[in-house]
Amino acid sequence: MRFRRLAVLMVLLWSLLPLLWQLYTSLRTGSALISPQPGLSGWTLDNYRQILSGDPPFWRFLLNSTVVGLASTALTLLLAIPCAYGLQRQPARTRALLSGALLAAAVFPYVLLFLALLELARRFGLANHLLALSLPYAGLSLPLAVLLLGAAFRDLPPELEESALLEGLNTWQRLRWVLLPLIAPASASTGLLVFLFSWNEYPIALTWISRQELLTLPIAIARIAGSSVYTVPYGAFAAATVLGSLPLLALVVIFQKPIVAGLTQGAVK
Amino acid sequence: MTLLLTLPALLLLALVFAVPLLRYGWLSFHADSVITGLQPLPNGGANWLRLIEDERFWQDTVQTLRFAGLSVALELLLGLALALLLHQSWRGRTALRTITLLPWALPTAVMALGWRWIFNDPYGPINGLLQVLGQPALPFLSSPASTWLVVVLADVWKTTPFVALLLLAGLQSIPTDLYEAFALEGGTPAQALRRITLPLLLPYAFLAVLFRLAQALGVFDLVQILTGGGPAGSTETLALYSYLSAMRFLDFGYSATVMLGMFVLLLGLTAVLLLGRRLLAGGRA
Amino acid sequence: MGLRSTLRYAALALLLVGLVCAGGLRAQRQEPVVVTALMPAPFAQATAPIVERFNRRHPGLELRVNRGPFETEAISDLAISSLLLGDSPYDLLLMDVTWTPKYVAAGWLTPLEPLLGEDALAGVVPGAREGNRFDGHLWRIPLVADMGLLYWRTDLMAAPPRSPAELMATAGALQRAGRVRWGYVWQGRQYEGLSCVFLEVLRGFGGQWLSDSGDRVELASPEAVAAASWLRQLIDQGITPRAVANFAEPEALQSFGAGDAALMRNWPYAWAELQKPGSPVRGKVGVTTMVAAAGGSPAATQGSWGFSLVSQSPHPREAALVIAALTAPEVQKDLAQRLGYTPTLSALFEDPQLVAANPVLPELRRALEATVLRPLSPLYAQLSDILQRQLSEVITGEREAAEGMERAQSLSNQVLRASGVGARS
Repeated sequence: MRFRRLAVLMVLLWSLLPLLWQLYTSLRTGSALISPQPGLSGWTLDNYRQILSGDPPFWRFLLNSTVVGLASTALTLLLAIPCAYGLQRQPARTRALLSGALLAAAVFPYVLLFLALLELARRFGLANHLLALSLPYAGLSLPLAVLLLGAAFRDLPPELEESALLEGLNTWQRLRWVLLPLIAPASASTGLLVFLFSWNEYPIALTWISRQELLTLPIAIARIAGSSVYTVPYGAFAAATVLGSLPLLALVVIFQKPIVAGLTQGAVK
Repeated sequence: MTLLLTLPALLLLALVFAVPLLRYGWLSFHADSVITGLQPLPNGGANWLRLIEDERFWQDTVQTLRFAGLSVALELLLGLALALLLHQSWRGRTALRTITLLPWALPTAVMALGWRWIFNDPYGPINGLLQVLGQPALPFLSSPASTWLVVVLADVWKTTPFVALLLLAGLQSIPTDLYEAFALEGGTPAQALRRITLPLLLPYAFLAVLFRLAQALGVFDLVQILTGGGPAGSTETLALYSYLSAMRFLDFGYSATVMLGMFVLLLGLTAVLLLGRRLLAGGRA
Repeated sequence: MGLRSTLRYAALALLLVGLVCAGGLRAQRQEPVVVTALMPAPFAQATAPIVERFNRRHPGLELRVNRGPFETEAISDLAISSLLLGDSPYDLLLMDVTWTPKYVAAGWLTPLEPLLGEDALAGVVPGAREGNRFDGHLWRIPLVADMGLLYWRTDLMAAPPRSPAELMATAGALQRAGRVRWGYVWQGRQYEGLSCVFLEVLRGFGGQWLSDSGDRVELASPEAVAAASWLRQLIDQGITPRAVANFAEPEALQSFGAGDAALMRNWPYAWAELQKPGSPVRGKVGVTTMVAAAGGSPAATQGSWGFSLVSQSPHPREAALVIAALTAPEVQKDLAQRLGYTPTLSALFEDPQLVAANPVLPELRRALEATVLRPLSPLYAQLSDILQRQLSEVITGEREAAEGMERAQSLSNQVLRASGVGARS
């Protein structure tokens, strides 16, 4: 019992201290941060004011990331649900083969693809469009999404579809009116994971977006680091971290269950 | 008909995964760089010969493996401990699960800069603490011996929750009567851990390692922002090398070759991993 | 589909096309030509009032400035991304001097002499003129001169050290007397700044990076080894903190600005920052050129920023007009007066108003006469990367100076040979 309490305390410190330090840094003036005896003075909201009044203001990056995240999630689900359903209807061999390929793609370190994706962006004029960014994001999320949704379809009792078939519903109607509502929880978990991935993605956003006002959050934050010659802008940067983390914190706290379900489903099935 | 439903997704997958790999295959046999005016010219196997002789490629390979190996091992260990903690039933474990998930949810790029500040020499909090304790400041990010460990720490901090959750799912799939029966036969909890939990957890651990190893070998954001590959190139990974070759040196032919070299490495490791699993499974049967 | 409905669709389509055309025409008549420039954030901020004035005076033209990151490498990556992606959102790039040959070789820039005239660089000081014109064309017009300087504390020493040995002795004595924590801070992180620092020391010891013919790297020379060893000794003897291996400009300035160091290597921008009210070292800072040993001469790495015209730009003529306006004498004077930027035009160094406002201007002028250029090559990024990596190994104690420089030379020459630039030997 006492051991557990100690362990919980350690886990809490380990997980939260670095985040709390960012919060603390964001509220301190630059000179208070480097002075050896930090004292009680030197608290400020200037760091927040500075990034919110930047050009473009910081909320713009939050908005960009939200747009990209939502578009990618929608596109992924739109493609993954029919694909997962269709996959379940294939002969066992085809299914095993495709599932294997999907697993390989899911674990593939996608950073390797950045150069060719950049060339594709040039070829098809996709650079500097937020919505276009959801194409590679959906493509990269698809393997995991199809695997997760496939597992959900497999769990449904086959009698359900058979009775729907008897009522004369065609494939599309069966999928839309019978199966889709039943896999809604799995779709939600999958969608959340895709959203998190798109929100956090770095190398492709780094190479596809070259206009400041279209940057997504991770790139914008990484660039704050080098935005000033005069000081190391740790305060402003920490403020950006805090603001950029809040939506994610909210997401994790509210949707903890489906996120965990999504993460573990692939392993269980 | 149902195959048709899979088609749009498969097409996008081919565009995003297969087309790039084929393109790299083609590029790796061409000189396509600032010297050729960014025009591809066939150059036989020159890129591949250069890769084999390139000390930097091999140094980065070793460093990438070193990073991935240590990170994944630590994540597995800490993840197991965390999973066992979360598996017990006690008040507040759901809250703890939410909190441990936070580091995983934040963008790597964001915390990479945070770590740069935390390990700053001499003004960062860790060195500040050392100073208060009367210890000399430690050059965390300016010594090849320690910088890569900071990178490992940052990675472990972020991805341990992921491993823990996978293992937790595994723990929850083990029927409790197995333990009860074992206890009735006079087995201690420690023995139960070794004889029941760990073997049954193996498939989950394998999946976690597969996922994490592949991702850790491709580590990019963290290194690019936290260290830029320095000091003395000691934290440069293969992904960073190929990025620099393309975006800074404008040598696309060679960048593609480095990426394919890494791909081959990945295939080899996966094969070893699969073989290892088969041997382990065979040993138990 | 019946004939009537076909006709109706055709009419609708025609109407739509007509509307779009009319919209296009209207847009052409009313919308001003937009010229977009990419600048590192501090420059974008500094030129904001100038840009506003420009836009007021040119109604048919709109200049938009996009703020990029400040770190040279980060903004270079951004500019390269935008050019590789095609359809570049930028017409003008404010570029570091070392990028130019690479961008020219990649075919990304338009020669400027047909638009601005052959004598566009006429009034520019020698220290900012080099590196803009090569291969028979003019590629870049400098806006701000930049060169490496040695900052020293006037309250700690009577005169700045002039030789490497003197620097060590002065700094070491001050540290031993407990008057300052560190002797000398500079940029030792594995990045472009380390190459700049090294080039100055290298020249100070009498060595050079590239051979006179430009086809061979000479980093294994005794002078180069001596220069690298000296940097290593600074750390070994505790004159420079070990943390310097992770220092870029802001960290060096942070340390020197807090009064923690007796000497600092940095660019001219640091002066204004150190003189701000509230700065612990205000009024206690002098500026001079880098130290040099017997066989060498004091050198300042040339690091100017200048405008280049992107060849993908649909409005080269208007963009050239912007370049001319933004590098004009009154603009440079304004930047020097408001922010302490170093002008590139000779005449401004004698401007009484400027000299009164910035007492170190004559020192800057002297440093500008000692500038040295980093190798002017499309392969510069690789060459510098090799040097940084080897130097980083030397200053972190991973490798001996002689061995590190030997490796830097052979690896660099490999790169040159593989590209067909280097001498085949």
